[in-house]
Amino acid sequence: MASNSIKLLAPDVHRSLAELVAKRLGLRLTDADLKRDPTGEVSFSIGESVRDQDIYIIMQIGSGVVNDRVLELLIMINACKTASARRITAVIPNFPYARQDRKDKSRAPITAKLMADMLTTAGCDHVITMDLHASQIQGFFDIPVDNLYAEPSVVRYIKENVNWKEAAIISPDAGGAKRAATLADRLDLNFALIHKERARANEVSRMVLVGDVTNKICIIVDDMADTCGTLGKAAEVLLDHGAKSVIAIVTHGVLSGKAIENINNSKLDKVVCTNTVPFEEKMKSCSKLDVVDVSSVLAESIRRLHNGESISYLFKHYPL
Amino acid sequence: MGEIVIFGGDSHPELVKMICDNLAIHSSKVQMGKFSNGETSVSVGESVREKDVYVIQSGCGHVNDTFMELLILISACKTASASRVTAVMPYFCYSRQPDIPYTNKGAPLISRSNEERPEESDNSTSTGLTTRKPGAESPFEESESSIRSDSGESEDSKQSSSFSSAPNSNDIKKSVSFSRIPVIPDGKEAGSTKADAGELFNAQNAGYKLWVAQAGTLIANLLTTAGADHVITMDLHDPQFQGFFDISVDNLYCKPLAQKHIQFGIPNYKEAVIVSPDAGGAKRATSIADSLKLSFALIHKERRSQLLKGPPGATLSSGGTFSTNPKPLVSHLHSEEMHHSNSASKYVQTTMLVGDVRNKVCIIVDDLVDTSYTITRAAKLLKDQGAAKVYALITHGIFSGDALSRIRQSAIDKLIVSNTVPQHETVAYLGKDKVDVMDVSRIFAEAIRRVHNGESISMLFEHGW
Repeated sequence: MASNSIKLLAPDVHRSLAELVAKRLGLRLTDADLKRDPTGEVSFSIGESVRDQDIYIIMQIGSGVVNDRVLELLIMINACKTASARRITAVIPNFPYARQDRKDKSRAPITAKLMADMLTTAGCDHVITMDLHASQIQGFFDIPVDNLYAEPSVVRYIKENVNWKEAAIISPDAGGAKRAATLADRLDLNFALIHKERARANEVSRMVLVGDVTNKICIIVDDMADTCGTLGKAAEVLLDHGAKSVIAIVTHGVLSGKAIENINNSKLDKVVCTNTVPFEEKMKSCSKLDVVDVSSVLAESIRRLHNGESISYLFKHYPL
Repeated sequence: MGEIVIFGGDSHPELVKMICDNLAIHSSKVQMGKFSNGETSVSVGESVREKDVYVIQSGCGHVNDTFMELLILISACKTASASRVTAVMPYFCYSRQPDIPYTNKGAPLISRSNEERPEESDNSTSTGLTTRKPGAESPFEESESSIRSDSGESEDSKQSSSFSSAPNSNDIKKSVSFSRIPVIPDGKEAGSTKADAGELFNAQNAGYKLWVAQAGTLIANLLTTAGADHVITMDLHDPQFQGFFDISVDNLYCKPLAQKHIQFGIPNYKEAVIVSPDAGGAKRATSIADSLKLSFALIHKERRSQLLKGPPGATLSSGGTFSTNPKPLVSHLHSEEMHHSNSASKYVQTTMLVGDVRNKVCIIVDDLVDTSYTITRAAKLLKDQGAAKVYALITHGIFSGDALSRIRQSAIDKLIVSNTVPQHETVAYLGKDKVDVMDVSRIFAEAIRRVHNGESISMLFEHGW
């Protein structure tokens, strides 16, 4: 793989992350052109030869137009494949349909598995993603998947921006306990858990706090923030239990539906998201949002993957 | 095979209902929706274990959403142990080739890359001729390198070989100068207007011809991956598309239905002429003309750098001239000479009508209409040539953008379109007397019945239902 070079591809919208990665790697984004006709059909052309190159397609999948992005990604991968690229890596920090990962009721689709199959079918050779909702999704693939962690970036953010010695790490649900616990261990902080009972998807009925948060700055840690209803309620529970202030740090700030409204009305001081999901526009309408840049992690993993070096360093450390 | 179960997607519920009515069964419960983040959610309301499942979803509306819905629904049925899943796609999305506009005017405007190509204008090689014949004396007699060594081969192979190797800048220079592929003469002079972007795009990557990825195989593979065992569709834009699938595909024809509509819907149809609006659809049109024993005409579009006389007997009509920047088509070696003629040189689009339509009823036959540019232009040409009345007979009427208003203003007297794609809007916009909707639900219902029972469906190809 040494003789061929990296080519970075990104769709025409939401290029911000790809541009940051490209800048970090000292490369430019390959000229490519995506066209959509009025019904949404996508056609794609690459502006230069990709024969025998190492292709990285960086795709930010935000809320609302998931299916468009997915089809665009598949078509881009397939185009590179038919253009004789040597290896195609899909860089999808926010893996779509990650929550549809099990047959939770009769005849429910396991769409995450379908996504995995479709990526493989399109010709993808490798996937880089970040903080998968369930890391078992890696097992859905027949190709290697590198699941990066936002944790080192988050640790750095906390150390730089929060009076972290007085903080406590909170997991908003039992499923995220492990993620929060590792972060708490890493920072040597207290850990608390909110147990919630879900009546329906995106709706929360009752919350119980397990642990002590009196006079602490509470940092709620989660992998995904969708409508932010949970976060808002969690903040109230924490403040009721004597917390000094509450901030939330989430990896994928999908922030769909009434998210902005919910955040503005909530008692959260700050909601910090990584830039895996494009939310620049939302930041304008919500002063409580803040961003953690993970482009350096992605860039470094691309560099390492291209050179055949180990990636596991990035699981624990923030690249310099 | 277990009993039949039919699921309808969101794209065309009306057609689903009509197909089910024809089969005298109810479509099974399925809920389609979206999570707040835009991901599609599907929940299948009835057991499909060991059943023969048919999923009906036309590739219309917002294509990517409806297609993902279809994939997720197929996959859900498959993981729920359905014995066979058939995708019924009356209109198959992503089946057509991207139109010219994608690479012409709609091409991207890309800033020139910083790295300069090797200086190539003012040196001795500029005497090279693009028209050099194979075997003619090489103008590079004195120059060294790969081209010289290849001189025994034909010109074409020489070009490609010098392209693929190009070990140093000198060779690149030569291969560029030999290329017939568009090259921009000079960086500064290169058109920076949007219209030139496509050509600029080409020129920047001299030797790399812009191509547009074809999604066909991918779409076929995605359906297979999701778990479809069988596909039923109608009037595929490319008959070759069937070959992209590893599973069986039944491509139904709208032709029998169309014939019926011509016979019963068009007064005095025996005097009519079937017209194909482009060369690609000629086969489709002739087969209808043959089986109804009607005469046939063809509209042929041509783009030449100057106005040419058409073949004898053909009626010529200038479809309007439009200037394009000719620079990219000229090898940079000739840039200086061509600069003088740049402003004068124009492309001429010639539209030729082959066949006689004077005082006849014309029926334009096409499989798919999206922007409607082709058929409205064709209609105008036919009327100009003295056609008495112009009908348009279309299988898949997608009518995106302002296609409908264009049709309303056009010379088309009546539109006959099938309901593979919902046509409420068309009827509402154009009025009932201007639109005839062909109902394909009976054909699909019968195809589903026959596939389920393992009977032959070839009868549907010829006779319809």
